[in-house]
Amino acid sequence: MIRTPNSAALAAAVTLALAVAVTAQQNAAAQQDGRAAAGKQTVTAYTHARILPGGKPAIADGVLVVGNGKVLAVGDATLRIPDGAVVVDCSGKTITPGLIDAAFAGGASANDLNEQSEEVTPALRVLDSLDPEAPAFARARRDGVTTVHVMPGTRNVIGGLGCVVKTAGDPTSMIVKQDASLRITLGAEPSMGNRSIGGGPPESMYYRRPTTRMGVVWEVRRAFYDAKEALQMTQGAPNASPPSEGVEILTRVLQGKLTAVTTARSEQDLRTALRIADEFGYETVIDEAQDAYLVADELAQKKATVLLGAPSAEQVGGTAGSDGASPRSGTVRALAERSVRVVVTTGTNALALPLVREAMFANRNGLGPQQALDAVTVEPARLLGIDDRTGRLAAGLDADFVIWSTDPLDPAAVAESVHIDGNPAFTR
Amino acid sequence: MMRIPRRSPLLPGALLVCVLLPGAQAAAQDVLVQAHRLVLAPDSVLTDSAILVRDGKVAYVGADIPAEARSAARRVDYGDATITPGFVVATSTLGRDADFGETAVAFTPDLRAIEAFDPWQDELKLLPALGVTAIGLAPSARNVAGGIGGLVKPGAAQGRIAEPEAFVGFSLAADARNPERMPTSLMGAKEMLREAFDTAKTGVEIGPDLAVLRQVMAGTRRAVVHADTYAELNAALELSQQFGFQPVLVGAREAAKVLPRLATVGAAVVLDTLDPEGRLATLRLPAQLAEAGVPFCFAGRSDRLRLSAALAVRNGLDRRTALAALTRTPAQLLGLQDRVGALRQGCAADFVVHHGDLLDLGARHVATWIDGRCVFGDEPQQARTATPNTTSAAGDRR
Amino acid sequence: MNPKLLLAAILPMVAVSANCQDLVAVKAKKILTITGPTVEDGVVLIQNGRITKVAKAADVEIPWEAKVIDASDKVVMPTWVLAHSEGGMRPSNESMQNVPWLTVRDAIDPASGYFENALRNGVGTVHVMAGNRTLLAGTGMVVRPAGRTVEDMTVAANTGMKLSLLARNGSRLQQIRELRRAIAEIREYLADFERKKAEFAKEQEAGAIPKDKKFEEEIDRKKQAAVDFVEKKLKGWLYVPSYAELDEALRMTQELDLQLVLGPNIDEAKALLSKLKSPVVLDDTLEYFETDEETQKEVLHCTARLCADAGVPFALSLGQGGQTSYPWWQLGTCVRNGIDRKTALEALTVVPARLLGLEEQVGSLAEGKLGNLQILTGDPFAATTWVETVVLEGEVVYQRKDDPRLKYLFDEAAKAAAPADAPAPAPKAPEGEQTGGDNKGSEGSGEGN
Repeated sequence: MIRTPNSAALAAAVTLALAVAVTAQQNAAAQQDGRAAAGKQTVTAYTHARILPGGKPAIADGVLVVGNGKVLAVGDATLRIPDGAVVVDCSGKTITPGLIDAAFAGGASANDLNEQSEEVTPALRVLDSLDPEAPAFARARRDGVTTVHVMPGTRNVIGGLGCVVKTAGDPTSMIVKQDASLRITLGAEPSMGNRSIGGGPPESMYYRRPTTRMGVVWEVRRAFYDAKEALQMTQGAPNASPPSEGVEILTRVLQGKLTAVTTARSEQDLRTALRIADEFGYETVIDEAQDAYLVADELAQKKATVLLGAPSAEQVGGTAGSDGASPRSGTVRALAERSVRVVVTTGTNALALPLVREAMFANRNGLGPQQALDAVTVEPARLLGIDDRTGRLAAGLDADFVIWSTDPLDPAAVAESVHIDGNPAFTR
Repeated sequence: MMRIPRRSPLLPGALLVCVLLPGAQAAAQDVLVQAHRLVLAPDSVLTDSAILVRDGKVAYVGADIPAEARSAARRVDYGDATITPGFVVATSTLGRDADFGETAVAFTPDLRAIEAFDPWQDELKLLPALGVTAIGLAPSARNVAGGIGGLVKPGAAQGRIAEPEAFVGFSLAADARNPERMPTSLMGAKEMLREAFDTAKTGVEIGPDLAVLRQVMAGTRRAVVHADTYAELNAALELSQQFGFQPVLVGAREAAKVLPRLATVGAAVVLDTLDPEGRLATLRLPAQLAEAGVPFCFAGRSDRLRLSAALAVRNGLDRRTALAALTRTPAQLLGLQDRVGALRQGCAADFVVHHGDLLDLGARHVATWIDGRCVFGDEPQQARTATPNTTSAAGDRR
Repeated sequence: MNPKLLLAAILPMVAVSANCQDLVAVKAKKILTITGPTVEDGVVLIQNGRITKVAKAADVEIPWEAKVIDASDKVVMPTWVLAHSEGGMRPSNESMQNVPWLTVRDAIDPASGYFENALRNGVGTVHVMAGNRTLLAGTGMVVRPAGRTVEDMTVAANTGMKLSLLARNGSRLQQIRELRRAIAEIREYLADFERKKAEFAKEQEAGAIPKDKKFEEEIDRKKQAAVDFVEKKLKGWLYVPSYAELDEALRMTQELDLQLVLGPNIDEAKALLSKLKSPVVLDDTLEYFETDEETQKEVLHCTARLCADAGVPFALSLGQGGQTSYPWWQLGTCVRNGIDRKTALEALTVVPARLLGLEEQVGSLAEGKLGNLQILTGDPFAATTWVETVVLEGEVVYQRKDDPRLKYLFDEAAKAAAPADAPAPAPKAPEGEQTGGDNKGSEGSGEGN
């Protein structure tokens, strides 16, 4: 790849002209975003690439124009390249939006993902445990992942708030969305370690509920009942003292202002997740969902979104292995055939491959190539409510994109360069 | 071999007696300590000068010493040697972490570390030989809010408490998370502190524990926070910004990742003593902190204090800051700069004597004085034989 | 079951199938011969288990009596050859360390899922050796992953002595020392034996022993294989777990007939790699991260790339589960690390065949070779490609449509999800050619170079 500045002398003037040309909204965004560094003032056009813009068919001979950390234009060979733009010839390469991992387990040490002193901790923020320089982020970048959704761990019934961060940038600018989701975990994991009668010294804090699946569901239900009650009380009396932070967060779920992501791997947990969402009237989003093929119709009927962790794996690794789920390669296809929205993630399975390879396996296992790619770009962006920022290549969105050596669903594909907000985040 | 100066007018370990019995003070004779180079503080050096020690404190320095006091004083001349303030260790549990953490509950801000202080502890006896003259006795890093730390001093035979309440110890470090009690995670630890500070700020009736947090927010008590990784440091900085205090961060292994913010918040750092085989990034951290204007000092292995300062200099730190990191800075971080860490008038007469620059690891450590008494090494032979009424002897310096 | 009865039950079947499949013709859209040029719209003729012709369809007249396998929309290529594998045994490691008299023949389980999986992945030849956790582990054998008994499966027996430098207690030096000592003991035993023999001859010469008496002592059966190994009559297959043992391994190759099997983590020994003259076998883990101690940054290394850079030919292995068990993944890993497709394909075909001394039998499609081939739905490098059929010595031994494991993973999921009132969809795994679509993954299918 050769960078050819058309005219270095003209560049500055053109930059000025372009600054006027871009929409006011973009200017505002660029100003707000203090990172609009000098390096980004240049406009770059990536030409002759095969572009998979996300949500749309491929453009065989495409052009991507980027400036100010944003996508300025995407089109085919007829797109006019702005004068003075640095032109990068991408013949033979494929450009996709930066990938989004909607269930990323890295970025914090595993011990800090779960606050085990209580089972219901909605007010805890996983953001507090993140290390922006964790090796997991570097690996994600190298494999074309530019945005990740990190959730608290799966050892609590209600673990806390997840956040969406980019995989590069300084610690504050990385944050895309602070309170992106609330994690609820069903199944055997939350009760692991809790002791029942005769199970150890009763003064231990682990001498508590839940110790069964029933108990787990009871904890979820009680938390939401409390929230519901608090909601009714504050609605009746505007001067009532505000609820505790934890309860307030749960009320946000009930009001549809916050997405609850329920981790449910086995069939019974999936059905429970559907039931509770129904009971309290929030949107059904199910994480992991290894046994989803057994409840595909119900998921379709509820218009649920399914996060499918590690479709490459034929078994569940780690502590979740004893959860009772048995992954099947056909799941992804069974869901797609019923138009269930599928988001492919790396998730909690220790056997997960890099996200792009998981999309490749989803493709191998029956998802169409565009669907497979959308499952790691467009779909997670929509689910996380960040589709106005990233997930596609379209004018006005963040310049998060990956230049691949070949089609990303080819096992031989490598990310040659990864760009986040227009900045190179990884270059091979 | 450690020798107790027999001719000292004070009996070994009699400092507490001095405090208790005012009559004994009168009996104490002034001491005039002379040397070729006298480092009062890193940026204040006298040549061929002296200090007058009275009642364990620096009474006069250099030219300020009154003639009659000079002549009445017992004279100690260290010849060509250099006198430097003794080392202050900002935070330490004197090797007894278990005694300084009430770990059944993670939130114990109103405990006092000095209650667990054992003046006869072996570790204390070793410190003068390493140049350490004062220690911030801190609660261990095992509790999220460990308690109030004080200042203690080693002595020839036993240590003493110099200041019972100086600072409050917090911890967001890995040690503070315990799978058997709350909190088990960093998220939980941060939330615990946030909630406590919030209640202390807004609560009407608060207990003694939250009162301590109020002192932190009012700026009357320094918060010393153990935090190593980025996430831990970030949590500490966010809390300090939210509740308006300037933290002293202990450990701060990954401080390089939050460098600009440390300066903005007015934070200071207590670094772990350096390991010569450690990572280059760690060895360069002191110089980076200095450049960013973040005050720092060393604590950890007391036998590596001099080595740490020397290694930091080797990796880009200026000598003056390195010396401050052993003396003045830790005193400042504990809010005790008027008491220890320098040889100013009114400060404790705590100093070390070296043949040469103490940052030069080859320089021989000659003696350590604490509270005006030589507790390690020798008083020079010449000084012992000097007679008090010699007014302009050859050894007299100004 | 009585083994004789079992044998009796199989024999007629083998006889019948041999008669029926005397002549097999495989029609293909594309034939990757590996050693020769790629043939478009071609035919492979197999007679009595051996290939008699590989040519364009237009140039061949298919005999009327031939059984025709129509893969005229598919890719045909030789089955993969694995030069070193510890699969198909339970377990693959003897807990004692010095057991050169053992043979994998006694541990191979023909019903093992490993062989089933090997066929599913298009593997036709496997060199089974004892695991890497045994110092001197016994002899291996080459098998085909089809058959009900070990005898059925055998291609070549007594193929080499397995040795391993994998440190058990974290002490590399000790492992090296123990291997050296084990070899020295065998040499001592042999010298002792030879001395006795010479003394016998001498005494016979001197008349102390009657002329007609023969030297009757024989080499201890438990030591025979090890003796063959030190006398270079039996090749040794030495597992070298990391760079740290490579130097010693190189020294040992000077005095013994050794084939090296390299583990991951060899980047530190780049300079030594170039001293290797013969091809090496690589562990299934081709890529690994290494953290720079100072910067804490991770660097990705690829063993195949390191070998290619050092000019050392290599054979690839397949893992027993996970992604490295897929040939297309291993090939793709090579290509994404800058190795050309031809070298990658050869590393699973002709190179391992040569290492096993079977280059005249397997690894390519040419006249006179065994009729071992696989029919693929597309490019062997694409993730969406599936093995449709495996033919070993002219006999169909695997068909995807009858694969119970794939049925379990795909069709049962589809069935379970089907609405109760609707008829179950026809059992069908995803079609490689369908998902090709605008995915360029299958672009330029199967050019060997």
